[in-house]
Amino acid sequence: MSELGMQPFLILSAFIFACGVVCIATKRNAIGVLMGVELVLNAANINVVAFARFNPAFRLDGQVFALMVIVLAAAEAAVALAIILNFYNNHATVDVDSADSLKG
Amino acid sequence: MFDVPGRIYVVATLLPLAAFLVLLIAGATRAFFRPFRKQGGFAGGMYWVCGGDKPLKTGAYLATGCMAVAAGLGVLGLVWVLTDPSEGSIRASKWAERIDWVRIGPLDTSPQPEWELQRAADATRATPRLALALEVGYKIDQLTAVVFAMVTVISTLIFLFSLGYMADEVRETVEDHQVVERVGGGETRRGGDKNHGDHSPSPHLPPSHSGFHRRGRFGRFFLFLSLFCFSMLNLVIADNLFQVFVSWELVGVCSFFLIGFYYERPSASAAANKAFIVNRIGDAGFLVGIMVAWSYCGTLNIEELTRRVRSPEADSHGTYELASRVIRVNADPIPAAATAATPRDYSLEPRDKPGTGSHVLLFPLAWEEPTHFHGPGYGKHKDNVFEVPPRSDYLTYGVMPYALFVLMGLGIFLGCVGKSAQVPLQTWLPDAMEGPTPVSALIHAATMVAAGVYLVGRCYTLFAPEVLLTIAYIGVITLFISATIALVQTDIKRILAYSTCSQLGFMMLALGIGGWVAGLLHLITHAFFKALLFLCSGSVIHGCHHEQDIRKMGGLRRKMPVTAFTMLVGVLAISGAPLLSGWYSKDQILATAMGYGIEHKQHILLMVLPLVTTGLTAYYMFRLWFLTFAGKPRDTHLNEKAHESPLVMTVPLVLLAAFSIGVAWGWPLWDANASYLGHVLEKAQPAFVPVQFATEHHEAHEHHLTAGALALLLAVSGAWLAWWLFGWRQPADMEMYRPGGPGYRFLHGKWYFDELYDAAIVNPTITLAKAAAAVDKAPTDRPRQFALPTLDGILNTAAELFIVFGRSLRAVQTGQLRTYVLTLALTAVAVLAILTVLVK
Amino acid sequence: MTLPVVLFAVVATITAVSALGVVLAKNIVRMAVWLLFTLIGVSLLYFLLGAEFAGTVQLIVYVGGTLILIVFGVMLTAQGPLRELRTRPAEWVIGGIVGALLFGLLVTASYQIALPPASADNTLPGPGPLGLTFLGVTDVSPNTNVTGVPDSATITRKPVAYLLPFEIVSVHLLVVLVGAAYLARAKRRVKA
Repeated sequence: MSELGMQPFLILSAFIFACGVVCIATKRNAIGVLMGVELVLNAANINVVAFARFNPAFRLDGQVFALMVIVLAAAEAAVALAIILNFYNNHATVDVDSADSLKG
Repeated sequence: MFDVPGRIYVVATLLPLAAFLVLLIAGATRAFFRPFRKQGGFAGGMYWVCGGDKPLKTGAYLATGCMAVAAGLGVLGLVWVLTDPSEGSIRASKWAERIDWVRIGPLDTSPQPEWELQRAADATRATPRLALALEVGYKIDQLTAVVFAMVTVISTLIFLFSLGYMADEVRETVEDHQVVERVGGGETRRGGDKNHGDHSPSPHLPPSHSGFHRRGRFGRFFLFLSLFCFSMLNLVIADNLFQVFVSWELVGVCSFFLIGFYYERPSASAAANKAFIVNRIGDAGFLVGIMVAWSYCGTLNIEELTRRVRSPEADSHGTYELASRVIRVNADPIPAAATAATPRDYSLEPRDKPGTGSHVLLFPLAWEEPTHFHGPGYGKHKDNVFEVPPRSDYLTYGVMPYALFVLMGLGIFLGCVGKSAQVPLQTWLPDAMEGPTPVSALIHAATMVAAGVYLVGRCYTLFAPEVLLTIAYIGVITLFISATIALVQTDIKRILAYSTCSQLGFMMLALGIGGWVAGLLHLITHAFFKALLFLCSGSVIHGCHHEQDIRKMGGLRRKMPVTAFTMLVGVLAISGAPLLSGWYSKDQILATAMGYGIEHKQHILLMVLPLVTTGLTAYYMFRLWFLTFAGKPRDTHLNEKAHESPLVMTVPLVLLAAFSIGVAWGWPLWDANASYLGHVLEKAQPAFVPVQFATEHHEAHEHHLTAGALALLLAVSGAWLAWWLFGWRQPADMEMYRPGGPGYRFLHGKWYFDELYDAAIVNPTITLAKAAAAVDKAPTDRPRQFALPTLDGILNTAAELFIVFGRSLRAVQTGQLRTYVLTLALTAVAVLAILTVLVK
Repeated sequence: MTLPVVLFAVVATITAVSALGVVLAKNIVRMAVWLLFTLIGVSLLYFLLGAEFAGTVQLIVYVGGTLILIVFGVMLTAQGPLRELRTRPAEWVIGGIVGALLFGLLVTASYQIALPPASADNTLPGPGPLGLTFLGVTDVSPNTNVTGVPDSATITRKPVAYLLPFEIVSVHLLVVLVGAAYLARAKRRVKA
């Protein structure tokens, strides 16, 4: 493991993060957007765990944060789905482009 | 109360205030509960308890009662003052008190060693208080007592008169024919305004029948009157300039309310504004004077101011040459070794060159030993050199630039000019006749305008010779100009207003030339007969159903005998008929003027104009009387409806007539100098007056009879001329409306003072204001368009720019979730990029 | 090429490809499947890093919980024959550019940070120490000074306890779930 170093993990995390952002930005389906968010969260988690692994100062903290993020992501997904369902009930669609009531 | 009898004056002063407060609270409560008047219970009950729908009649009686009690106290106080034999500090402790109102400086109550020394040596001298405090206090001397009694007695009679005169206001709805109505958006002048608005001698327009309706204002009238009386009384008893100033402003604002009592009439509200604004000019001067006094003398107490600017009246060796004088000094050269903390030396001006000193010496309020100043040759260093520390206070000598001393006097006098309607601020008084007639009598004859003269008398010790000369000239100019204008006026009240101006001019003249007693005696006598004349005119106006044009009157003496007779008494008094009160005071003034004119040949005008004006006065006053009461009625319609006023109005007339006859009597009756009132006032006269004006007074005594005879001759000829023109010849109606020559027009135009001010001040101001408005405001027809050269335009443009900017920014808010995310990501990219660059 | 490197290469490839699959897939159900692989790949990465507990939790919560939730969401909102919501090509281009920029910058940044020296100890603390850390009972962080921070300054660790943050998160979760249940409850339709 020591010959691998932290760099590859960071690059992989960056890639997944970019994927998540693109996913949020391009998907019109609200659930797709939610999946993008999950990708972004996972990318962040990889970073955190990698730091915990490679920096002795954060051995515990990294994992603790990873766990919290996972749990929070689950909650967030629940809320997001609830919102999406409500939206679907009102608009009969999950197209986020149709949610433009806040247009200035 | 009996230890400090001066307190009855405080009570008497506060009584009208109490009446005012009662009326105010009742009125406010009633207004508050008006919405509930149809309901029962507490709220509705309060409305009816506080007067209900009708104007507050009970309150008016209460105010009159308060005033009557105050008058009783005033007379009691006068008797007490005159019979009090005490002198010095005992008298001071009985008739003067003062307390702090706002203390700015430290309150050090520990006795200063100098004071202890001084008290040990001279117990009669009051301990000075530490400076830098605004105080309230009263000081009663003979002048105060007399003026106080005069004001309260006249006010009471006027209150009584008002109960009858203002009877119309008791009704629930009052119809006012003189109110401008808006017809179709444009303004049209109706009714009596025509006469006041322009002065073309055109026939009177018939009053409109669709008058303006409003609620009666009986209570409000007495509310204002009470506040006014309180202010005036407070002014009279005040012992310091600040209290005077506060009352001064209160008097001003009350006159504003009362002149504008019929504020629906545009002429009335304009007159109220004019009176207020013109008075402000004078008050600004007054304030300047007060500030100079405060900065240099550290006190506003009039007596302390006197003790600072004038040398002590006496020392342990008796009086001396320089007693109670303004001492002028010159600064000595500063020694080479002097620092900022070194006291500077000032020496007395050279005796061979008086009037050249650059500074006025300010004296300590307390002396290290009794009355240290002994006059020339006895100065601090025996060579008339005075040591002034860099920060002088009331325990040390001080200096004050002479120019500022003059400015102080001029400033105070300017305030008096405004209040007493002297040239050049006289224009408000005639216009102020828009107010109800009792108001004219109260404010513009007996009290408010008297305040100016009274204050000149009070602050007499603070006036430099130059200021006194200014006062004399202002007075003489006023008395002449006003008298000439009064010759041709046709409005009964305006004639009286101009005669008031003129008589006030007489008082100012007398004060300016050293006739302190004469001027103030005239103040008292004039107050009585002018109040009488105004109330008589009020009675005439009341009896003629608000007709004020004397050209339409005539023959009224059969309809209104009491009014006619009492008014004749007033006319005789003001004309200076012997043995009536006006004769005593006027004779003294004329004698003083003659003495002054003979002594100072270059000021001969001060002697000639008053004499001439005596004739003019008799002419216009008799013209007024003949046109109003004598001959045959010119307007039969008016005459038929005319009636004598009720008893509540005629009784005050008779009483005032009695006062007008006898208030200045003394024994022997035929000696104009023997006036008892004059002798009373003489006791309050500042000590320096007989010294400074010794030669003039001597000349005045020499030529007393000449002056009296001349004045009488001129007055008789004036009266005869009036009789010949208006009593004997019985001018026809149309003849009265004929415009005269250029001289007539000049006088009828009031010397074109209003036009001059309009051209010189008002119009430029309006032009300036319009120019400022043009810079400021966008044209009203294009309120929201860009008018860039105007301030509004610039601001509107700026606002519009932001609106446009905001509209363009609106497009950014698409409501599209994904756009937001993209923007967010882009921002993150940008931030990261910046960080990457920066961290490297 | 040691085993960990090979393993990492394989797992990283799988994860990256399936993440890309999430982005590129048109069908929402396929996206969900790609996401499943991504999540499993991430949990494998945790195992590789020695964080077994985190990896396990990732599998259970994410794969077993969140993903199922999402699939339920898909099912509940499916409109007839799963209609595709097309994205315009221009948006794809913009999104791609932004994504690429972000990726590039993050990589650049990862090269800029000063990497700490890898520790000889290959294992991360297991669930036991983690649990105790939450309670603040022990601190298995090095008690001596550590020099792992980028600016090489020494820091002194104090015993840490995550009890309070943990409780806050718990309450937060509870509230969130109650809220979610409230939002998603069946409502009576109001007749227009």
